[in-house]
Amino acid sequence: MKMDVAQETKGAIASDVKTMTYIEAITEGLREEMERDERIFLIGEDIAAYGGVFKATKGLYEKFGPMRVIDSPISENFLIQGAVGASIAGLIPSPEIQFDDFITLAMDAIVEHAAKMRYRSGGMFTCPMVIRCCYGGAVGGGLFHSQANQAWFMHCPGLVVVTPATPYDAKGLLKAAFRGQNPVLYYEHKRLYRTIKGPVPTHDYTVPLGKAAVVREGKHVTVISYALMLHRSLDAAEKLAAEGIDVEVIDLRTLLPYDKETILRSVEKTARAVVVYESSKTMGVGAEIGAMIAEDGFSFLDAPVRRVSPPDAPQEPFAPPLAEAYLPDANRIAEAIRETVAY
Amino acid sequence: MPVSNDELKGLYYYLNLVRISDERCRRLFKQGRFHGTYFSAVGQEATVVGPCYGLRPEDTIGIQHREMGAAITKGMPLKYILAELFARKDSPDRGKSHPCHYGWKPLGIITPASTIAAQTVIATGCALAYKIQKKDNVAVCFVGEGATSNGVWHEALNFAGIHRLNCVFVVQNNLWAESVPAALGVPVEDVSERAKAYGFPGVTIDGNDLFATYETSQEAIRRARKGDGPTLIEMKTYRWYGHSEIDPANYRTQEELEYWKKRDPVPRFEKILMERGVIDESYKLATIQRIERELEEAIEFAEKSPHPEPHEILEDVYAPL
Ligand SMILES: Cc1ncc(C[n+]2csc(CCOP(=O)(O)OP(=O)(O)O)c2C)c(N)n1
Repeated sequence: MKMDVAQETKGAIASDVKTMTYIEAITEGLREEMERDERIFLIGEDIAAYGGVFKATKGLYEKFGPMRVIDSPISENFLIQGAVGASIAGLIPSPEIQFDDFITLAMDAIVEHAAKMRYRSGGMFTCPMVIRCCYGGAVGGGLFHSQANQAWFMHCPGLVVVTPATPYDAKGLLKAAFRGQNPVLYYEHKRLYRTIKGPVPTHDYTVPLGKAAVVREGKHVTVISYALMLHRSLDAAEKLAAEGIDVEVIDLRTLLPYDKETILRSVEKTARAVVVYESSKTMGVGAEIGAMIAEDGFSFLDAPVRRVSPPDAPQEPFAPPLAEAYLPDANRIAEAIRETVAY
Repeated sequence: MPVSNDELKGLYYYLNLVRISDERCRRLFKQGRFHGTYFSAVGQEATVVGPCYGLRPEDTIGIQHREMGAAITKGMPLKYILAELFARKDSPDRGKSHPCHYGWKPLGIITPASTIAAQTVIATGCALAYKIQKKDNVAVCFVGEGATSNGVWHEALNFAGIHRLNCVFVVQNNLWAESVPAALGVPVEDVSERAKAYGFPGVTIDGNDLFATYETSQEAIRRARKGDGPTLIEMKTYRWYGHSEIDPANYRTQEELEYWKKRDPVPRFEKILMERGVIDESYKLATIQRIERELEEAIEFAEKSPHPEPHEILEDVYAPL
């Protein structure tokens, strides 16, 4: 197994690398970027002295004060649209949407204003900003605290949508987001916050936006995934290795604009593709990736592109047996990969 | 503070420039010289000239479909206003947006989207930045009374109240939101009452009296600049024509229209300036000739500017990643 992080940190001496959780990498990324660029400020519900409901902004209020870490009223639309204004006026805002389940209240702000500001003004106005949004299931959050709404925002040219799977990428993508000129919707998976630990360099680095990573090389089938589902896909790949199925796994990292080249290059090699994603199946992330492969890589394929996702239920329900039935686990993913390889 | 004769002359120029440009744009649309639509604000000129006259270049205005006059008074070059309407390559938006969505970065005129009330919200966000940056810039945020029914407008005022931002919220109450009468959009007689809920003053004034709109706005702008917080100014006014040029406005009575036409802000202001001897007939004539000339040049600029080319469709979607 060849992890991107392992490669990136290879050759570094141990003292250049720290092991930390996904959420620690986010907090550290925020702190370092705020130290680097005083135009950056954070605004969101419960993020100041309280440190955020998941403690992602812990310690930042104490360090940077009330003008740079602002507790917002429960006004999701203002949070984003106000940030668009603050960005126009020369700051780099990072508004936090507490749960993806409430992002719909800011839909107009994100879609009409953040994503379209550059286009609608002929490039005159830009609104670099980093919208942080906590999302995802497998934490017992029920119908209204588990959502994963990335696919909606993949339909918004002008917006960059990212979601890291590792602490390394969490910090590197966050830094890249703060240093760019585009509005970035930075999706952080709440199940990964404290369950995933990994090496993070102590020196400054960024992870490029718009670039996927081949996190495991293989020759029989390509699995394309991200965030929590990436980890489950890697578990599935590990299981299948014992059966002699050699799985290549791609971490999309950026969902919009996503890295077609890396996907197609891999599918050209393996001739088979499975997309594993977290949200209802129809018109989800897999619909786009599958259609793109069918359109641009049809001649590479020896099997239909397979989608592995939750069923078309509105979201992860609360009762444990229903929640269990929602997100694909490594077994379900492995089964789909087996079928694709056997096709 | 007394208004000087120079200020009065300046106001007079912009009042006429906005009126004459607006009437001219209506004609250009009817002649098919640009397409899409056009939102006239004839009758409402004093509600934009008053707040925008004398703003600093670094102040921001949040405007939308009916506030061409605000962009003009803030100083947006007329040629770019016309190029915007004509959807030409030389429009600041490069022909991308929508008719009457004027924006001009050098003067803080934020290019709007069509979402009603949004312009107020974004401009309030600018004011948040001014507070963080410790700047005394002011954000003047315009909406019609219809927009004050939208939740996000309230989110912005609520936030501006909490942080005492440098905002002036102008509500042009022209009694109609497209075809919906104010009584079905706003449950209070005076929209200014709504300011109370956000902890800052609200006033209702005659929006067709340029003295009132100017002086009230100046006071509110001074307050904002000093860091004394926002003000909501409701200006009662009336739009003479339909919601857009394709709306015959059959929902309202002829009597209502006549009532308001008698309160035309342009001759009303002019009469007082004449009486005070600030201007005379020859000054008036010269002003109007100057405006006609400037308009001709702007129209020529717009008509000569090419349309954008098809390949430009993907320009300005993203900055380089
Ligand atoms: C959120 C939203 N809903 C509906 C519309 C369609 N629309 C455009 S203007 C308008 C009426 C606006 O009335 P008001 O805010 O009073 O401003 P006025 O047009 O009178 O200046 C409507 C309903 C829109 N642009 N945005």
